[in-house]
Amino acid sequence: MIHLQNIQKTFKGHKALDDLSLEVKAGEIYGLLGANGAGKSTTLNLILGFLNPDHGTISVGINFEKSNKSSKNIGYIPENVNLYPYLSGLENLDYFCKLADLKYSKSELSAFLTECGLQQDSHDKSLSEYSKGMRQKVGIAIAYAKKAKIYLLDEPASGLDPLASNELTELLKKLASQGASILMASHDIFRVRESCHRIGILKNGKLIKEMNAGDVTSNELEGIYLNFMQN
Amino acid sequence: MKDIFINEWRGFVRNQLFFVLSILFTGSLAVVTYLGIVQNKTQIEIHHDAHRHIRSQWDEMKPTNPHGAAHFGSYAFKPNTVLNGIDEGITSVTGNVLRLEGHAQNDLVYSEASQSLLISRFGKLKPALLFQFIIPLFLIFLAFNTYTKERESGRIKLLLSQGTSLQKILLAKILSVWMIGVLLLLFAIFIQIIFNNQGINAETFLRLFTLSLSYALYYLIITTLTVLLSVQFSSSSASLTFAIAVWVLWTIFLPKIAGNAVEQLSPLPTRVEFKKAMETDRSKGIDGHNPSGDREKELEKTTLAKYKVDSLSQLPINFDGLVMQADEEYGNSVWDKHFGQLYEQLLSQKRNYQLSGIINPFASLQNLSMGSAGTDMIHHLDFLKQAELYRRAFIKILNDKHAYGGSKTGEWEWKADNDFFRSVKDFEYSTTSFANLWTKYLIDIVVLAFWVILLFTLILYSSKRVSLL
Repeated sequence: MIHLQNIQKTFKGHKALDDLSLEVKAGEIYGLLGANGAGKSTTLNLILGFLNPDHGTISVGINFEKSNKSSKNIGYIPENVNLYPYLSGLENLDYFCKLADLKYSKSELSAFLTECGLQQDSHDKSLSEYSKGMRQKVGIAIAYAKKAKIYLLDEPASGLDPLASNELTELLKKLASQGASILMASHDIFRVRESCHRIGILKNGKLIKEMNAGDVTSNELEGIYLNFMQN
Repeated sequence: MKDIFINEWRGFVRNQLFFVLSILFTGSLAVVTYLGIVQNKTQIEIHHDAHRHIRSQWDEMKPTNPHGAAHFGSYAFKPNTVLNGIDEGITSVTGNVLRLEGHAQNDLVYSEASQSLLISRFGKLKPALLFQFIIPLFLIFLAFNTYTKERESGRIKLLLSQGTSLQKILLAKILSVWMIGVLLLLFAIFIQIIFNNQGINAETFLRLFTLSLSYALYYLIITTLTVLLSVQFSSSSASLTFAIAVWVLWTIFLPKIAGNAVEQLSPLPTRVEFKKAMETDRSKGIDGHNPSGDREKELEKTTLAKYKVDSLSQLPINFDGLVMQADEEYGNSVWDKHFGQLYEQLLSQKRNYQLSGIINPFASLQNLSMGSAGTDMIHHLDFLKQAELYRRAFIKILNDKHAYGGSKTGEWEWKADNDFFRSVKDFEYSTTSFANLWTKYLIDIVVLAFWVILLFTLILYSSKRVSLL
């Protein structure tokens, strides 16, 4: 579970987040929509502990305190997954797993990559030969291999083709069905509508609208979003 | 931390530029170290040959007046230490052959610098040049973007989200770069041990250990500082620029500034002033008292009284020998006074320069490098002292022979036989054990350790305060 209560964050006098409260329950995928600068990444950075809120409380999981910045309970996928170009996809995954004190065999690591949509024949290739989408899949595998209870995704489908995006959606749903709480920041209204259980719209650091994804179609969601952005 | 360290090394090894540079460095280091050993061996052999030649001249001396032999004199050779091949320190400037004769204390001659046309600002191409200037520069180029590249790429967030800490990341990065410097250092030491067949005894091992420890500490300082700059600056280019500026400041400007400052604090007389003051004291008496003529009259009076005779011609000994020895001893006290002052000034300069390590750890490194190689001012002064002690004993033997060998006063044609000259022992200098000198370098070790602790404290502090975004 992710719980944010009355979060306020200011950068040089500019309010990046203004009294933000939201909750992502266990087994739930929450989509956070918003324009550039709305506060989506700031929210994720606060939960990850890379920033401290000026005001408010953040609790993640049951026994996890926000003050513990190095969380092994969080799977994180950034918008641009920059891995080590001199390592293969498999070696990158192995290295990041080791950092999280996770020891997997080569076949297990390979299985994670395959499950995240990376073809078997590219597992041992140097990352410098990977496309952005392929690197993104390794990033997803890194988060997935942690078998975390919390996932934070910052534009996770960036660089993915429609098929891979769809596979990501299926993977997220699988993780949620296993009890994970997933918070996904995105611009992609369609992907959010398809993937998430609940959706929030952020504007100028404020959560101005929350809704169940099942209550709206993609077109309706787009209309709501554009309406809020234009007013 | 082990995994981060291994990953950093994997990055180095798989980087073609690093690979080429490492081969280049290792090759250069091997060649320079080997050439240093060969050059040092050649110099040692030349010294041995010259020493043997000088001694054979002495041993084959025909019956000669002892005072004439005192003017013929001898030579003291400052032997090259085994580690001179690594760091020749001040030896190339001070010279290594000292002429020993009666009436005078001479300066060292035949310095390499006085005969070489290849004197560069940085000195000769010895391993110390690579150790002190080039390897630190290489480490800077390896470390300057270790953190900024993680931050600029956004990878730092992914790394930290895996549960590792920034402290661990930074420490592992420091150690991985530092280890490259240490391996290059150990490689050169290994070559030194393998190719130096003059014998690596416990003394040399102690010196090699101190030398290695000094460089290892300095490399840790330069690497930690560069990583710290990488953490503090927002871009790789800014951290590189600053790190290079520090390198230039530490290795080029501050040593000169510190050198000038210590000279101002403890000024030395010029060579001409020093010699003139000695000559004045010797002829007029120290501080103008007891001139040489008065001293001789006093000696004549006490000697005649001792032998209960009325004139020098009645003495059973040669009074000239006594006069010369008395003059010698007076000259020694003059030398002790002046050289004692000079010695104190030089040591004071050395101590003050050592203190400059607080603002420039490179100064401490240089002191320790030369000190452990046995080529610094402290070892040089030790040689001068021992050579002077020998000269005094040597001249006293000759003067005593002149006085008590069987001649009478005024018999300048009297000659001692060859057996006498053969019986005079030769000067054999052995470098003072480093174990007896190490306290003189304690401050340098403490200063380097201080820098390491300071920089590690700063990097741990920075790792908690730095913005990750």
